Amino acid sequence: MEYLLTRLDDRILSLNKAKKKALVAYLVAGDPSLDSTLELMHGFVDAGVDFLEVGVPFTDPIAEGPIIQAAHDRALKNNTSLSDIFQLVEKFREKDPETPIILMGYMNTFLANSQALQEAHTSGTDAVLIVDIPGESNLEKLGIKNKNLAFISLIAPTTSEYRISQICNRSSGFIYYVTLRGVTGSSHLDISETEENINYIKSQTLLPVFAGFGIKTPDDAFNLSKISDGIVIGSSLVEMIHQQSSKKEFKKIYNYLHEISEAIK
Amino acid sequence: MDNLTDLPNSDGFFGEYGGKFVPETLMHALKELDETYAKLKNNPKFIEEIDQDLVQFVGRPSPLYFAKRLTDHYSGPQIWLKREDLNHTGAHKINNTVGQILLAKAMGKKRIIAETGAGQHGVATATVAARLGLECHIYMGAADVKRQSLNVYRIKLLGAQVHAVDSGTATLKDALNEAMRDWVTNIEDTYYIIGSVTGPHPYPMIVRDFNAIVGRELRKQSMEQFDQYPHAIVACVGGGSNAMGIFYPFLEESNVALIGVEAAGSGLMSGKHAAPLNDGKPGILHGAKSYLMQDKNGQVVDTHSISAGLDYPGVGPEHSNLKDSGRAQYIAVDDDEVLSSFHLVTKLEGIMPALETAHAFAALEHIAKNYKSNQHIVINVSGRGDKDINTVATMDGISLD
Repeated sequence: MEYLLTRLDDRILSLNKAKKKALVAYLVAGDPSLDSTLELMHGFVDAGVDFLEVGVPFTDPIAEGPIIQAAHDRALKNNTSLSDIFQLVEKFREKDPETPIILMGYMNTFLANSQALQEAHTSGTDAVLIVDIPGESNLEKLGIKNKNLAFISLIAPTTSEYRISQICNRSSGFIYYVTLRGVTGSSHLDISETEENINYIKSQTLLPVFAGFGIKTPDDAFNLSKISDGIVIGSSLVEMIHQQSSKKEFKKIYNYLHEISEAIK
Repeated sequence: MDNLTDLPNSDGFFGEYGGKFVPETLMHALKELDETYAKLKNNPKFIEEIDQDLVQFVGRPSPLYFAKRLTDHYSGPQIWLKREDLNHTGAHKINNTVGQILLAKAMGKKRIIAETGAGQHGVATATVAARLGLECHIYMGAADVKRQSLNVYRIKLLGAQVHAVDSGTATLKDALNEAMRDWVTNIEDTYYIIGSVTGPHPYPMIVRDFNAIVGRELRKQSMEQFDQYPHAIVACVGGGSNAMGIFYPFLEESNVALIGVEAAGSGLMSGKHAAPLNDGKPGILHGAKSYLMQDKNGQVVDTHSISAGLDYPGVGPEHSNLKDSGRAQYIAVDDDEVLSSFHLVTKLEGIMPALETAHAFAALEHIAKNYKSNQHIVINVSGRGDKDINTVATMDGISLD
């Protein structure tokens, strides 16, 4: 697929050179507020996060567990829209021109804003991960292709070998491997199955494979980092952010992320 | 134009609508279902098994009944009723569940899940699961659990577990979200019986095919009883399974008008309704592209309808294609019209329709005048109204306690 290299690819190359595993951190834009999201994004980077995955809230997020669903609901109560999120990214870029940003969300929100998506890279977005479009889909036909953005695809334990190769052929940036059968924040991690599947995916693509869904402790992170190129942390961060939503003492969260980033080095 | 009867295409599209927009974990299960169905649908043994269940367990064929007093009331066309309310469990929903449970069995699945709005699909699913001794879980919006308490109890009596869903608007769409999350989590041993012509491919096709028995019977019955096909067929549309089932065998009969009736709730102008085909825009929800009630940011908006079964912001993708192609037309009637129609039909015909079905009857107020006395209109009586008496009493200001 035709696509221009972004700061996401630069970051992947530099991690590769340093033989380091990637740490991807997820949070929902607008939960508890867009100002807090901006502060947290910078704080995450200072704590050792390599990629930021910014959740775009949707009314019906079918792949999310209760923790992230509730965060989507709170962000929507604050009327957080995709155009607000593009502005958030633009503001973030004033201080941080380097850390790659991936927007993660659901097709209908992007479809309703497909015009804006065509310009998303100009405000500093690097990639999009749309949970509910199959990885082999023709993005051009769906009207959402932008060759300045990487389109990250998910591969699950249930994905067939045939589809894995199709998805790999159409993907850019990295492959996001869903470590379990379930929604975000579940806890049925099966390390040996995960290892086998990631090895197979790596035999089909040169793209790095990051693993996510169900990582809670530095131990989980350590174990998964051994068998992947990087890990994604989501629900546990979103839960901690929620707990701090009134006091806004985010230091604990940064300490947690720092611990994880040390664990996977 | 494609031949409408040949849709969906192999990717699950009806024109530009439909498809499979789901998290990756589900893709394999959808393919497996698609392949199983393709293999079984023309298998004589499978067909025989379904036919036998439809006759002996469901009670088919359902009668085509001439509504004399209703016809006199409107002094227009002859009004006929396709009596799906007489099916076992009281609605058309059982046509689909007897078919899908056999697919589940063929695939070796041990656990059944379903979503339900009015509770009719929940009852129909719990019924067929009980019959095969399969574990069954029904997801239902917390608001619907309250307003359809009778059906909730029926589902429990049938041995299924009811899970009240509090998230979002606590209605049918949230029940669907939760059922999909269950499916993602328990994908290996679980079969998801979707209750309408919605969701990702192949569900809209499978649910339509299993309900198409209604339209096939009508082709035969109308010839036998009034020597021609109807001039118009009227059915209510939420997700749209009863309508699709009765429309589908008539898609190529261009002289038969197909009229779907959506829920206008407090009125189309009020914005408080559940009529995506009348007042929505194409979007993606629950795995398919179709008309959808949404705001300018692509967020799904709250719906309102007196009937829990129509209280849904989306609609089956095949209906969206029938609308755009002009083959079917879709109108909407509001809660007040529905309630008066419910009373009218109950008193004139001795048939108490479900509030969903009462939408189709209410359409007569708008369309009966367009037809002559030698023309025939068929109303699909998708379900009976016993489940709704609490709602009707409340609307009429009567306490049943």
